[in-house]
Amino acid sequence: MADLTSIPADQLVFTDDEKKQIQTWIGRYPTADGAVMRALWMAQEKFSFLPPEVIQLVADAVGIPYAKAYGVATFYTQYFKEKKGAYVLDVCTCFSCQLCGGYDMMHYLEKKLGVHKGETTEDGLFTIQEAECLGACGSAPMLQVTNGPYVHNLTEEKIDAMVDALREGKMPAFTSVTLPQDEDDMGGNRRSDVSVVEAYSVRPVSETIK
Amino acid sequence: MASKAGDWRSYQRVILPPVKDLHQVDVYEQHGGYKALRDVLTTDAWDPASVTNEVKKSSLRGRGGAGFPTGLKWTFMPPVNPDIPRFLCCNADESEPGTFKDRQIMEYNPHLLFEGMVMAGYAMTIKTAYLYVRGEYADWITLMERELEKAYAKGYVGENIMGSGFSMDIVIHKGAGAYICGEESSLMNSLEGKRAYPRIKPPFPAQKGIWGYPTTINNVETLACVPLIIQKGGDWYASIGAQTAPGPLLYGISGHVNRPGVYEYPTGMLVTDLINDVAGGMRGGKKLKALVPGGSSTPVLRADMIDGVTMDPDGLREAGSMLGTAGMLIMDEDTDMVSFLRRITHFYHHESCGQCTPCREGTGWLEKLVTRIDEGEGNLRDLDLLIELCSQMEGRTVCALADAAAWPVRHTITRFREEFEAKCRPSLVPAGGVLANA
Repeated sequence: MADLTSIPADQLVFTDDEKKQIQTWIGRYPTADGAVMRALWMAQEKFSFLPPEVIQLVADAVGIPYAKAYGVATFYTQYFKEKKGAYVLDVCTCFSCQLCGGYDMMHYLEKKLGVHKGETTEDGLFTIQEAECLGACGSAPMLQVTNGPYVHNLTEEKIDAMVDALREGKMPAFTSVTLPQDEDDMGGNRRSDVSVVEAYSVRPVSETIK
Repeated sequence: MASKAGDWRSYQRVILPPVKDLHQVDVYEQHGGYKALRDVLTTDAWDPASVTNEVKKSSLRGRGGAGFPTGLKWTFMPPVNPDIPRFLCCNADESEPGTFKDRQIMEYNPHLLFEGMVMAGYAMTIKTAYLYVRGEYADWITLMERELEKAYAKGYVGENIMGSGFSMDIVIHKGAGAYICGEESSLMNSLEGKRAYPRIKPPFPAQKGIWGYPTTINNVETLACVPLIIQKGGDWYASIGAQTAPGPLLYGISGHVNRPGVYEYPTGMLVTDLINDVAGGMRGGKKLKALVPGGSSTPVLRADMIDGVTMDPDGLREAGSMLGTAGMLIMDEDTDMVSFLRRITHFYHHESCGQCTPCREGTGWLEKLVTRIDEGEGNLRDLDLLIELCSQMEGRTVCALADAAAWPVRHTITRFREEFEAKCRPSLVPAGGVLANA
């Protein structure tokens, strides 16, 4: 799937607003380097993945050597160094999820979408990945969609519904999992604004990048 | 041993009290929020030293896994020098498998965390605090950024807080998916925009931390306890739960129980109470087989080892394990311990940063060997080889990840050896069942 030269040169730029945002981040750290992680996130949100030329763009915008930005981009798993599907499904299979059926859920997805973990469907819509602990062990098994919303307490039906919705371009909503003690003391969830997260850090691949 | 948690059934929650929409700043204020901070900053009753002393008096111990006394850690900061910046860092890179408690504070009571951070900043005369949140918690970063903006607007964070002359900024830093960033020196490198390799200690963060400046790093739950201590007193805090490590504790219970989730109770709860009463007992009425008490690196306990064991550092040390993050994984009788260990070794192999050879290579070999056994291709001598490998990893690397990877292997094999032997190639088991271990 690696397609490293797909972004036309004239699109390989940050807008003035984005450059300003990077400067704001730089101002929050003693040296500019601190802002590189946020800038890489912004670039990934914009270009959907981080090929070398995008990393170069980030390095220039932050004002650090390319090698340094490249080192950071390649250290962390959430930065995509190669092009992935429009929706990256990170299925947690670690430890608690393993014991609660995480592998069943992953294999169900693999069968349903016809690809193995680490692969992308032919239509470029879905990539399945096996994730390490995502910190939602109480609502295992679970998955995360493109570094954004969590889908908790997975079942086959829930996966079907989620995949159908994603095919129509609908990201899952943020869900607040009730604390068991809240169920006893308050009869349910304590948050009344449970669906307030709309700004996802990584949006699906834009039309412009083929 | 009896429970050290006293009358836990009537315990009233304080970190996550049952208040609707407590994450909103107005609701938080109505329930006494930021009052303690006002006292600290604007009355003569408090100065930085007395805040630290109150935290010391509370015997609060870090909730990130190591359990170091928080007040003592704060006193490691060098004397204030106006020319040298100092930093506070809140470690919200919660990634130890089985641990999901800090996320509840970020979702349900973020202002308690902000208030605790400003108090800690005041106690150590710090002007900038970084809140390092793991990248996977993107939604919770969005939620907290919104609440932080409101705290700024209300003047609880930022310039000249409540007219006291004390100023402190909180910067939320978004990680990008690396377990190792939960290690404090690795977290500092990550904040500085480097590859997150752990640093050799000493120098400790209080001497040379972020960008080489004095830094204190505390866990989310630890800092969330600070406003409660200031508000209700160190003595009150010290009177809750187990004497040597007191306070309220967020127990994250997952695995084969009827009601998994995060529960707030005093420290020193009986493990059996937590499983049978709090978490609603075993799923499907099955029998308990094993328990990991505090995140994946803490040694696994067999069901016959947990009678009378309490959830505090002393209780679990006596039982042969550790409190860690109090992220408990409960396993029922059908659990295959070999594939369970195989998944853990895979995790540590994936998450080793690659800086030190014993860890980079060792975690890989742990995974290869356990996988071979799990697939029925292993030899009996592989078990001893695994233990030997653990000894070659423990204590031989810059950070504790190698130890964290080796402990579950060592203890799962020692405590469930017959299961591992049963999966090894039968040809090497001599007739009569005497094990050759050749």
